[in-house]
Amino acid sequence: MEFVHKQQGQYHVLGATGRLDVATASHFEKEITACFAEGQTNVVIDMSGVEYISSAGLRGILVAAKGAKARSGEIRFCCLSGMVSEIFKISGFGKMFEIFDSIEDAVS
Amino acid sequence: MAIRNSITVKAVSLFLLLSLVIVTVVHFYSFSVSRKIVVDLAEKNSRAIAGNVSYRITSKFKPIETVVLNLAIALENPHLSAEAITNLSKMIVTRNENIFGSAVAFEPYGMFSDQLYFSPYSFKKDGVALTKNLGSVDYRYFHLDWYQLPKQLGKPVWTEPYFDTGGGDILMSTFSVPFYREVEGVKVFAGVVTADISLVGLQDYVSEIRLYDSGYAALLSGNGLFLYHPNGELVLNETIFSVAERIEDSELWEIGRDAITGGSDFIERISFRDGRQSFMYYRPLEIGGWSVFFLFPKEEVLKEITTMARRTLGINIIGFIALALAIIGLTKRFTRPLINLSQSANKISEGNLDTVIPTLESTDELGQLTVAFSEMQRSLKHHIKELTDTTAHRERIESELRIARNIQMSILPKLFPPFPERKEFDIYAMIRPAREIGGDLYDFFFIDKHRFCFLIGDVSDKGVPAAFFMAVTKTLLKVMAEQEPDPGAILMRVNDDLAEGNESCMFVTLFIGILDLRTGSTLVGNAGHNPPVLLNRDGVDFLPCLNEPLAGAIGDLTYTTSTIELVPGDTLILYTDGVTEAMDNEKNLYSDERLIEQIGTELDRHPEQIVGDIEQSVHDFAAGAEQSDDITVLCLRFNETSHE
Repeated sequence: MEFVHKQQGQYHVLGATGRLDVATASHFEKEITACFAEGQTNVVIDMSGVEYISSAGLRGILVAAKGAKARSGEIRFCCLSGMVSEIFKISGFGKMFEIFDSIEDAVS
Repeated sequence: MAIRNSITVKAVSLFLLLSLVIVTVVHFYSFSVSRKIVVDLAEKNSRAIAGNVSYRITSKFKPIETVVLNLAIALENPHLSAEAITNLSKMIVTRNENIFGSAVAFEPYGMFSDQLYFSPYSFKKDGVALTKNLGSVDYRYFHLDWYQLPKQLGKPVWTEPYFDTGGGDILMSTFSVPFYREVEGVKVFAGVVTADISLVGLQDYVSEIRLYDSGYAALLSGNGLFLYHPNGELVLNETIFSVAERIEDSELWEIGRDAITGGSDFIERISFRDGRQSFMYYRPLEIGGWSVFFLFPKEEVLKEITTMARRTLGINIIGFIALALAIIGLTKRFTRPLINLSQSANKISEGNLDTVIPTLESTDELGQLTVAFSEMQRSLKHHIKELTDTTAHRERIESELRIARNIQMSILPKLFPPFPERKEFDIYAMIRPAREIGGDLYDFFFIDKHRFCFLIGDVSDKGVPAAFFMAVTKTLLKVMAEQEPDPGAILMRVNDDLAEGNESCMFVTLFIGILDLRTGSTLVGNAGHNPPVLLNRDGVDFLPCLNEPLAGAIGDLTYTTSTIELVPGDTLILYTDGVTEAMDNEKNLYSDERLIEQIGTELDRHPEQIVGDIEQSVHDFAAGAEQSDDITVLCLRFNETSHE
């Protein structure tokens, strides 16, 4: 997977690209955890470049979210597409996380 | 052994072939060069001998020619008397040992106008010189060769040699010189002066010439007549041309022609005398248009170099054999360690890892190879031991995993029909585990007499942790269901219990249904699981998705309970994503759409048939592609409400 970091106001925006499966989940998880370790508290994950997410990917997100919660941080997701959006819906992630249609909505 | 054959044989044959080529080339080169030298030498030798012969013969007969030529000049004097002329002829016979007779023959009426013949002829008889007059009706000398030829040709002529029968049976030839006298200021032919010369010494001389062992010389007259030849029958009887005609040898004819016209050559030909390959040399003499021939067998000329060639060949063969033996020996010596190593390698390859590898003192490539090979053997032993240990270890683990898997599977209800006495519904389920231990689960049980609980779940991970998680989930679900038969409440409590201390955030998706058999009313709760399919009179479709979160990862979540009213004939199909995400070899997904299509709209099917058809369809779709996830399907058909 590839990641792009940028700061928008008080939000740290992490753009992820690629497949989020058992091979990349721990990378993804570490990338998010690192943001909080650096002192960020509000992280927006731009999922527009993620084309596939497996249960291992979901688990990676949950682990990262748990870490964020311990540091009183918050993870928001935006720009979900196709299959990823479907999975988020079925697995109830929509009820666990704040999900937005665009980065602008997420950071406002 | 292959390596021995290939290296030794290759090296030896290569070296020997090369040496053979070199030796053969050198041999034939030296032979041809020596042969050329020897043949050149033979030619030079022939020329030298022929030159000598020519000189000897010329020096013997030239003075005689000179005497006769001088006499011819003297006879030009018209004042010489008959007596003086007779005396002159007598004098040259007396004073020249080799002149047997001499005539001074005048033209008819040339000396005396009333005398037809005038030809005083002096000759030796018993050591005394006598004189007689030639010319009579029986001996009209004007017409004879010795008279006509010089007259016609206007120059001195040697006549064809002949045997003199009158004088003493000796081989003779006549040298005739024309002489002229001046008549009214014009030189007019007046007659010839002759000398009969004995050729006896000439034959002896030529017969004594020896070339090599059996080579000989021959002498030919100006007409090709054999004056001397070792075959006495030819002498004075045959010409080279008559012989050539007889034996049909056109080359010999040409040689004869060339010789009598003054040619000279050194050629190789087969002797007509004994049929042996020979060298022939011929050259003209300065006397009488004669030619001298030498003929000597080729093998005698080449005898020495043939001997030399044989000896060289012998030496070469011996050397070649010695070289071959040396190369075979050396190659064997060089390849011995390689062969030993190869034998060791073969033993090792047969599985005997304790084979002793021959040690080599040398540090050359072979030494290095041996060292490397020992190292490889050591390393191989080490690795095999490690591998054996690992394999044993892995087999133990795998065996334990297999047992764990069996235990895990054994906690799922497998006996169908599970409640044969209950006619209100039929249920069937199947789980096809992936190769790797997974976490799919299903369960069904009566909470009380009228309420039947059925559920399906999928643990997020694989392996032993997932199996444990699955087992715990199943146990918790049953306990919670019996305590509080409401899917939402069950899910909330199970979620909280699972989330506690779940650092790795393992989770499970769950679908729970509780069917009240008296009414068909079914309470359902869904924790992030794929929505089940409902097949009823309206068709086939997914149940609405509740969008509630998967369970076990994070505590304190809220789950709701919703209700579906089933009427008899309605069928629910629960499945895990192992079905819809089954992949074929091109990584295409089985998909939700295909599932709906596969289930179809036909109502009167037993759950076992529906499940079996789905399983077969997924199997056919995968077409041999490896199954990466557990495939689980549970199907429940509501037949009728309870009568109580």
